Parts: sequence; structure tokens; C-alpha cells
Amino acid sequence: MQVYKAPLRDMRFVLHELHNSAAHVAEIGQPDVAEELIDSILEEAGKFATDILLPLNASGDEEGCRYENGVVRTPKGFIEAYKKFCEGGWGALASDPAYGGQGLPEIVGKMVEEMQCSANLSFGLYPGLTHGATLALQGHGTDELKQAYLPKMIDGTWSGTMCLTEPQCGTDLGLMRTKAVPQEDGSYRISGAKIFISAGEHDLTENIVHLVLARLPDAPKGIKGVSMFLVPKFLPTEDGRPGARNGVTCTAIEHKMGLKASATTQLYFDEAVGWLVGEPNKGMRAMFTMMNAERLSVGIQGLGVAETAYQSAAFYAKDRIQGRALAGARYPDRAADPIIVHPDVRRSLMTIRAYVEGCRALSGWVATALDLETKAADPVRRQEAEDFVAIMTPVVKALFTDLGFELSSMALQVYGGHGYIRDHGMEQLVRDARICMIYEGANGIQALDLVGRKMPAHMGRFLRGFFHPVQAFIEENAADPKVLPLAKSFAALQQATAHIATVSLKDPEEAGAAATDYLRMFGLVALGYMWARAAKVAAEKLPAANGDAGFYQAKLTTAQFFADRLLPQTSALWSSIKAGKASMMALEDAAF
Amino acid sequence: MAEMFTKVAVIGSGVMGCGIAAQIANAGVRVLLLDILPREGSNRRAVAEGAIAKALKTDPAPFMSAAAARLIEAGNIEDDLARVAECDWIVEVVVERLDIKQTLYRRLEAVRRPGTPISSNTSTIPLSQLTEGLPERFTRDFMITHFFNPPRYMRLMELVTGPHTDATLADKIALFCDVALGKSVVNCKDSPGFIANRLGVFWMTGAVTQTIEHGLTIEEADAVMGRPFGVPKTGVFGLMDLVGLDLMPHVNASMAGALPENDEFHAINRDIPIIGRLIETGYTGRKGKGGFYRLNKTGGKRVKETLDFATGEYRPERRAELPELVAAGRDLRALMSAPGRVGAYAWAVMGHTMAYAAKLIPEATDEIVAIDEAMRLGYNWKHGPFELIDMVGADWLIERLHAEGFAVPPMLQRAAGRSFYRVQNGIRQQLGQDGEYTDIVRPHGILMLEDIKLAAKPVLKNGSASVWDIGDGVLCFEFTSKSNSLDEQIMALLGKTIALVKKEYKALVIYNEGSNFSVGANLGLALFAANIAAWMQVESLIATGQEMMQKLKYAPFPVVSAPSGMALGGGCEFLLHSDAVQAHAETYAGLVECGVGLLPGWGGCKEMLGRWASDPKMPKGPMPAPAKVFEMVSTAKVAKSAAEAREMLVLRPSDRVTMNRYRLLADAKRRALELAADYKAPEPREIVLPGPSGRVALNQAVAGFAKLGMATTHDVVVSGELATVLTGGDTDIIDTVKEGKILDLERESFMRLLRTPGTLARIEHMLETGKPLRN
Repeated sequence: MQVYKAPLRDMRFVLHELHNSAAHVAEIGQPDVAEELIDSILEEAGKFATDILLPLNASGDEEGCRYENGVVRTPKGFIEAYKKFCEGGWGALASDPAYGGQGLPEIVGKMVEEMQCSANLSFGLYPGLTHGATLALQGHGTDELKQAYLPKMIDGTWSGTMCLTEPQCGTDLGLMRTKAVPQEDGSYRISGAKIFISAGEHDLTENIVHLVLARLPDAPKGIKGVSMFLVPKFLPTEDGRPGARNGVTCTAIEHKMGLKASATTQLYFDEAVGWLVGEPNKGMRAMFTMMNAERLSVGIQGLGVAETAYQSAAFYAKDRIQGRALAGARYPDRAADPIIVHPDVRRSLMTIRAYVEGCRALSGWVATALDLETKAADPVRRQEAEDFVAIMTPVVKALFTDLGFELSSMALQVYGGHGYIRDHGMEQLVRDARICMIYEGANGIQALDLVGRKMPAHMGRFLRGFFHPVQAFIEENAADPKVLPLAKSFAALQQATAHIATVSLKDPEEAGAAATDYLRMFGLVALGYMWARAAKVAAEKLPAANGDAGFYQAKLTTAQFFADRLLPQTSALWSSIKAGKASMMALEDAAF
Repeated sequence: MAEMFTKVAVIGSGVMGCGIAAQIANAGVRVLLLDILPREGSNRRAVAEGAIAKALKTDPAPFMSAAAARLIEAGNIEDDLARVAECDWIVEVVVERLDIKQTLYRRLEAVRRPGTPISSNTSTIPLSQLTEGLPERFTRDFMITHFFNPPRYMRLMELVTGPHTDATLADKIALFCDVALGKSVVNCKDSPGFIANRLGVFWMTGAVTQTIEHGLTIEEADAVMGRPFGVPKTGVFGLMDLVGLDLMPHVNASMAGALPENDEFHAINRDIPIIGRLIETGYTGRKGKGGFYRLNKTGGKRVKETLDFATGEYRPERRAELPELVAAGRDLRALMSAPGRVGAYAWAVMGHTMAYAAKLIPEATDEIVAIDEAMRLGYNWKHGPFELIDMVGADWLIERLHAEGFAVPPMLQRAAGRSFYRVQNGIRQQLGQDGEYTDIVRPHGILMLEDIKLAAKPVLKNGSASVWDIGDGVLCFEFTSKSNSLDEQIMALLGKTIALVKKEYKALVIYNEGSNFSVGANLGLALFAANIAAWMQVESLIATGQEMMQKLKYAPFPVVSAPSGMALGGGCEFLLHSDAVQAHAETYAGLVECGVGLLPGWGGCKEMLGRWASDPKMPKGPMPAPAKVFEMVSTAKVAKSAAEAREMLVLRPSDRVTMNRYRLLADAKRRALELAADYKAPEPREIVLPGPSGRVALNQAVAGFAKLGMATTHDVVVSGELATVLTGGDTDIIDTVKEGKILDLERESFMRLLRTPGTLARIEHMLETGKPLRN
């Protein structure tokens, strides 16, 4: 059975104790977002997730979306839940107040997102895409477009999509064919086919706003000839209501491994009316605003699913009795001991827990940078934050989603055969989590982005935002033996970074061969750093903790587990990286 | 060796005359610079004096030092002409008019010492005409010495002798120009335009007319003609803007008038009305309002614009995007064969220029190597035309000329089935007119690594450096890294080299044939290491460098550094730790680390302090030396010549200067062997430094500059660390400071600076833009 209650204590720990939310909100000019306010928002969001979204998760998966004659119906209960979602203002949390948003910091927004992903990933996709689309529109759209669309999208009346993929172009968007023809009135006519469009058609909102990538007639070949257009399902009337149907139709929905309550559509644009967003041929720039935000959100999807998997597995491990503890019966009065007594079950639970809490702490760190890059007063701080987001985006996206799948599979294993059958909902988590490794840039591409683009940029400047604070922390705590494992793995990461930077100058394939291992290594060290800091905070708080001693003690223990059992993987990864591409690339293509 | 002249007369003080006079003065030889009387005013030397004053303000500077300018004495041809009798050589650089030149020659004939060589710098008048009607005692002493503009920097000198010219005299002038003035002397026949301009004008004219013909934009033409063919990236149009558009019609008319009717030049030379219009409206190039390119400053903005041949108007500069260039890569044959206008253009210009070069044998010279050298040094081509033909293949060129109905010059035909150059038994050979290959023989006393490499393997080698045996027990350490930047590998190989020389050799020379000796430490690596907080790695590189520099200095054998071009930062520190420096005159040395927010960390501070502290001209006390070094290092001062480096004490009085780039290695080797004869390693030096009170004084001075807006926020941080090092840190004024202590201070301050965001931003900015960041 899927068990989920928002991990509020841990979220508060991450926000207030680890990342000092009070200092953070002061720096971004929002001192009124006090700890109490944040806590009450998290609490309400937690209730919404558990009470409204979680119950629809398994049923939505069972029922799926239905397609009939161009219309897509979401599973039972989604329309009502979405209505409550909008009424609660959950979609407008971190949006710009100028267009009706609440303007709350991303550090709060990302925690709420995590809860929604934990409770119901399919549902979360609808408002999630809308949020991404508002960011792109806000960053690059004309005032006219912004006024006409943003308020309705932010309050959830209208939803958004991003239309990139076409049958012949996935990762390589330079192959795009959809075309846009300029009209005398300044609008464009968009024609072409798009596939894999999440939330491209559904019955939750009165209108759907597509952000579509297409080519202008005189566009240069390849990725430098792609522009972004806003194409609404219904053309708004003068008073802003949905008017005439635009030339975009849903021709089918995909039948997928998981995420069944989310409509993945094929869209056909036939001379659909659209407007340019951003500059001609600079569509990728506009899209990247959205994609960077989306990639972090997708990372959080992985984290969210893993949290539910953890809670469900922990519940089952304490509930299910089977066999006896290896060192002798722990519950002699019962027919058998609960399986949580077994080291291997413990291994699974501790592993999931250590990763999940580490990822939450890391997403909190990245979220502070999301706030700082737009809201810090000092332009130097803004630039530093932007650099940091640039380097951490591929790490968070790929690491969190790889873990989301690995950990939910590990949680399923705790259930044994009961995990494999549908009744307990564990196999749904595995299926749902799998897509996160693929969409918004497959994880292999994230790794390439990290080593090929982000690492060498400005002679490694993006790396600074990560490496400097970690090095400083290690230097400050050189006397603390608990920091040693981090120091060791960090030194290996430095070596691996310098190694890849050097070898890839001569042979880009070496960078490609090292990329995935390097990203994981980077991610492990990042989590190791979060855990080392968390342990430090916990150790400081423990002596004076009243009712919270158990929480801090568990933090310290889990930190130790991470350092003992998970962080050492960095050594193996560094060995793999050093081995280079030779054996990977040696076989002739025909030998496969 | 060259018999040094004690005084040379230069008549005519225009840009070329004054430039030649300056270069002679740069060689330490007195000059009598004469010009006509001024039209007005009472100062009868005003014309030549004015020219010298102007030259002192010209950039790039014709003079290597202010002292050189003082070797020139100004005069006029009415009062002072008789004083040419004091001179060992008379150079005529007056206006290009035969009657004026001949009148001058006749007047000179009356006053000069008999047997004094006279030469003209003419570029357009044949020697036969210049000497027509003059007595044999004049023609025997007469020749053409054709320098290129600017004479200090252009290494080519074309020497033309007549049938009566005394060969001994010509050799004497050639040797003086070679050894004293640093020129590469190319012997030419008395034919129009000699070599470089004959071919250069043909090439430029073709490049312009064919651009119009094939409908290329100016940017496209320069992109095709520039980098791919190893021509300076200014390309043709950029070059014409530089030399002046107004010159082109004159030069072309003179060339057209002088060349026989069947010369190919006539086929490509035509009147280009738009150039006439540009000249008329003041668009004469960079000296005027602009040329083919201009900077439009209207409306407060600075917009780079380019002339559009189609409209005759200027439009914003557009970067050329030519897939043909990408596709061809380094394959010139592929470029010249590419379908479409780009390939057609490349062929039309370069194919015909190559053929024309072959035709200049035997018209302009008998040796292909003379033509290649003239184009390399006179037009800064990376490869001469015959080297280019070898790259595309003589057979291919012949075939294509045939196919298109063009004549194939006999010299080109001779290369059919083979190449113009080859290497035989480790010696480079050239194809002669008899169809035989002969060794290319360098003038006496020249030693080149380039030649040694043809016949030998390096004694030691890694990815960033090589070591060569240059004979007589001397090893040569060569940097081979990108821009000769200094890295771990160089230090590692240096360690091995020192051990090897100690065991088996007599001396070490540090030298290379790159355009710059070294631009300093590899900043890209340092920045990347800093960005990933690999502080230990950086610190160990600093420590290793310091250790190597100390080893170099105290090695039991002499070390001679022989720089040319830039020797900056770590490159300069190599010079400072050598027993002797044999510097090319065009050496630009300095400790520039502060420009990127760092300070000299390989002993540069230590050595400069030692030099200034022991300079007899300095006032007594511990403060003057640090103050002097602080002034130079904090402002990242670079010497603009070896002579200036001497003034900065980067070179010591005992260090020597070589004028000719080709002679540098031989001179350095000779110096190393001299030192090896009775070598004793130097004694470690201890100096007295002022300590904290001195630091406070230097910091106050910087604070004052900061207040005036002359020092930036980060300048204050950087110079604060520099002040700490130069004043000896916490040392007490009554103690002496050992070298090791200063090195520790250098290293600590360097590491502190590298951790500041201001320094990281400076390094990044320098690497990405090539310009210093003033943060």
C-alpha cells in the first residue's frame, strides 16, 4: 500500500537549520517570509498531498487517461482535485505577484513540489508544465502576451505545455520540421506534428497554452534556426475568454509503461495561429529558461517518488512478519519477527533514507540559488547563483531520477512478491519513476552537458560554486574525523575533474566515456557534503534538543551510514573513469 | 664578424628615412640625419629634428630606447652635406624622383670620402637609371638597400647591386644590415619592384579585382586569403587599409609602367573606380577616415563597418561564414578546388600568385628561397609561395594551369613530379634552375634549432618541452607548449635536464623559435585548478617552479637564456634566474602577474629585489629597492625592447643583445661556452628589507592612487600582497633576509590572491578577451 505523509520535520530541518531560511529570505528581500509562515504552508501542502492527491494515485494509474475523437479525459477525481488545487492557490505559490502569483521563494516552492510528486506524480505534471511555461513566457514574451496569458496560467484556469519533440527529432532538435509562416498582422501560422507532449490535451482547464518550437521560412539550418511560438488551444476573445478553436488537435495519446494518468499526446498543428516568444531563431534560448527549471523539477520528481517508496517500504518492513532475526528472536511472543530486523532489509531502508534525505538537502541548496539568481541585490551574487544552478542542473536531474528508479525498485524488493503484484502500488512507483530518467533530456545527455558544456565553460568557473564551499568546509573541519570520508571522496572528485578536463581536450570521446560515472561521482560527493553539514548541525543541536533528540540522533546515524556505505562508491567510479574509453569503444559496430 | 660602422649618414627624414636612421641608432651607431631646409623659420635643421621628435611619439616605436634617439644628429643638406665625409655609409631616402636623386648623388660625389658605400632605399626606380651618367667611381660604391616599413620591425632588406658595384662593399653592407641592423638580406636583381613588392602587388591587386569579379564580400575575401594561406589575419583589405589606399594607384601605375607588355600583371591590373572615390573622399585607410573597413562613431556608438562593393556604401561588419573553409580544413588544394565562388576566388588569386612567383625565376632572382624569404619577412606570410606550391603539389598546379590555358613558367615545370624543397641527409635543399637540388646554406654564424631538428632527435622530450644537443657540450632547452606557456611538464623536464647537464654537458641554453619566448605560466590550467579548489596542486606547482628556478641559478654549469618576443611573467623569471641573457633586440620582458591579480611566484620578486638592492646607482637604505620593484611589478610594466629591459634591470650590464633573430642561438651558445670556461655558481644573496614599516608606506601610496581613481579595488588587494612580499613580510629592519624567506612570502601571497574572486575574475577575463580586467 502506498504510504505517504509529508516529511515535514525533515523539510523544516533542511530549510531552517541547514540552509538558514531566515538569512536567505532576508538576502532575497523577502524577510516577511518567516519560518512560521513557511511551516504553515508546508503543513497545508502536506495535507493536500495526503488527503486529496494520494488517494487518486493508484486509481488514476488503474484507470488511465482516455482518448476519444480528439478529446482526452483524465481519470476520475482529477477534475475535482485540480479545482481544489487552484482554489488553494497551489499553482501560484512561487509565481510572480505582478501576474497574480504569491511570489514565495523557490526554497518553499520546491518542497511543495516534492510533496505533490510523492503523492501523485501524474497529477503533478499538469500544473508543473504550466509553471515551466509561465517562466518561459515571463522571461521572453512581449508585454501583451504576458498580460493576456500569465494571470490565467498562474491561477490555473489555463494550463501550459512545451512542444519540442517530433517523430524524427528527440535529443537532436536541429532536425525539427514544424514551420511557422509570418502573417501580415504580426502573428504566425504554425504547421507540423509534435509527439510526446505532456498535458497536450485534457479536461482540467478551459484552455491550453502551447509553447511550440518551429522554424521560420528563412531560418538557418539546425538548432540555430528554431524559434518559439505561443499557440493557444482556443484563441482568447477581446475580454480574455477562450474563443475560437485554434488549428491544433490531439490525434492520439501514448500508451506508456507508467505515468498513466498524465496525458502524453500527439499534437497536429494545422495553420494554427501563434505568436513569437523571444527573438526569431533564438527559440532554444527561450526554451532553456523553461528547461532548466523543468530539469530541476524532474529531479525533484525522482526524489518525491523515492520518498513515498521509502515510507511504504518502512511501513511494510515493520508490519510484515517472517522468519527470525539472525542473532535470535527479537519478538519471541509473535509468530515471527517483522522483517525490519534483517540486515539486508535494513540496508535497503537505510540506503533509500540516506539518499532521499541527502537529495532533499541538496535540492534545498539549489533552490536557494534559484532565488538568488533573480532576487539577490548584489549582481555578483546573482551571477554566482546562476553559475551554480548551471552546474547543478544536470547533476540534480540525472542523479535524483536515477535514484528515484533505483530506490523505488529497492523498496519494491522489501515487499517481495507483494511488491510485484499491483495490490500494494509498489510496481506503479517503479513504473512511474522510470520516465524521469528519460524526459527533459535523457540522463546520458545530462552527463554530457555536465562534462562537455558546463565543466569547461569559462575555464571551470561554474564549478567554483560547488568546489569552493566544499573545500572551505573541509578545511574548516579538518580536525573532525567524521569529515574525512568527504575529504577523501572530494579529493578524488577534484582529480577526476582535472583528469577529464585534460583528456577531453585531446579526445572528446574520453569525456563522453567518463560522463555518466563522473556525474554520479559528483552527485555522491554533493550528497556527502550535504550529509556532513547536516551531521554537524545535528551534533550541535542534539545536546539541547528536547523532544527532537530522536530526529537529530537519526540524522547523525544516517549521515554515518552514508559516509560508511554509500560515499565509498566514489572510489570505484574514479577507477572506472581513469580506465578511459578503450574497452568501451574497442569492438567494431558489427560485433554488437 | 661585421665591421661596425661608427657613423652613418641618412639623407631624407621621412617615415622611411627616419625609421632607418632610428634602427641604425638602435644598433648603437651614430647617425647624421639630413633633410632639406624648412620653408620657414630660423631653425635650419627643423625638418630632420621634427622627424626625430615625431618618431619618439610614434607607436609602434621606431626607437628601442630614448638613448638611441640621442645618437642621431639632425642637419640639413645645405649646411651639413659635407659632413658625410665623417660617415662610413650614406643611405639616400629622398623622394622617389630620379632627377632629385641624381642631383643629390652628384653633390655627394663632391663631398664624400672616396670608397664610402652609398645606397638608395628606392622601391620603384631601377638601379640602372639611378646610376645613369654617373662616373664609375660612384657606380662602384652604389647599391640599393630596400628596407620595409617600419624598418625596426620588418626584418626584410632587399639588396640590389649593379654590374659595377664593388662586391666587397656590397658584402660589407649586407653584413652590417644583417648583424648590426638585424635584417635578413635578400639579394635581388635590378628588376621592377624587386621581389617582395613585385609579387606582393600582384597578389594584392589580384585579390581586390577578383573579390569584385567573384562577388565576395570583403570579410569573405579576407577570411579566404587570411588564415587558410598563412597570411596575417588582416587579409588583403585589412592590409591595404594599413598601408594606405592612396598608395595603390601610384604603385600599380609605376609597376605597370615598368613591366614588359607581356607580363601577367597587366592582365589582372585594372582601374577600380570605387578606390578612386574612396581616396577622393578621404577614405585612405587607417591613417584617414577609414578604408575598406571603418569605425563608424556617429551617434555615440562605435560600429565596425565594411565597404559593400555592390552598393558602394558602408554597412555593419558581417562575419564571413564560409562552409567551404570548414570543409577544406588545412587542405589548400581542396579549398582552391571547392565548387562555387569561394573556391574560384581562392584559385584565381593564389593559383596565379604561385605561378607568378615561379615566373620571377630568373627575372627577379635565381633562387626560390629568396622569394620565399622575401614574402615571409616582407609580407609576413607564414609560408613562401614555393612552400605553398609544395603544399598543394606542383603537378596539380601545373595540370590546372594547363587545363585552363595558362602558361606554365619554366621554373614550375621543373618541379613536375617532385617538390621545390626536400630534406636530404638532414639538410634542407632547394630546386635550382638547372633542375638539381642544392643545400640551402645559411649565412655564416647562424645556428637554428629548425635546422638541427632536421638531422637529430631530441635528447629529452615530453609534451611541453624538448632538449636538443646543439654541439660543443651545450644543450638547448626548448618550450614546445601552446604559446610556450609554462606548466608542470616543463618544470619536470627542466629538472631532468639540469641533472643531465651536470653529468654530461658543459652548459645549458634556454631558447626556442616560437614567436614568443614564453607568455608565462599556463593560466588556463591554473584557473581551472583554482575553480575546483585544487589549492595543493597549484601550490605544489609554485613550489616546484621555485625549486627549479633556484636549481637553475645555482647549477654548477652556466645557464644562458636567449629570449625573443615576449618573455612575460614566468618567462621573465627564467631570464632572471639565468647566469646570462643573450636577448634578441625585440624582446619584450616584464613581470606582468599583477595584471591578472597575481604576483611573481617563481622568484621574480626575489631576483628583482636583489638586482635593485645591489645597483650602485640606487640610494642607500632598505627602502629604495622594494619601492622601485613595487613600482614596476604592481603596474605590470613590460619592457618594449631589450634596451628597455636593461633600464629595468631585467637585463644586467653583462647581458648582451643580438639584433638578428637568426643569430640568437649561435650568440647564446658562444656566450654559454665563454662562461663555461671558468664557471663558478653564484653565492646566495641576503638582503636587508624594511619590513612592516615599509609595507605601510607602499600601501599608503596605493591608497592615495585609489583615492584619485588611479587604482581599482582589487589593485589595492593585489598590491597589498606585493608590498608584503617586497618588504620582507614581518622581517626586522636590522636583520638580513635570505632568499628562501622571500620565496615563502611569494608563495603564500600568491596562494592568498588566487583564492580571491577578484583575481579569478581577472584571469578569466584575460583568457577570454586577451585584455586585462580593471576590477
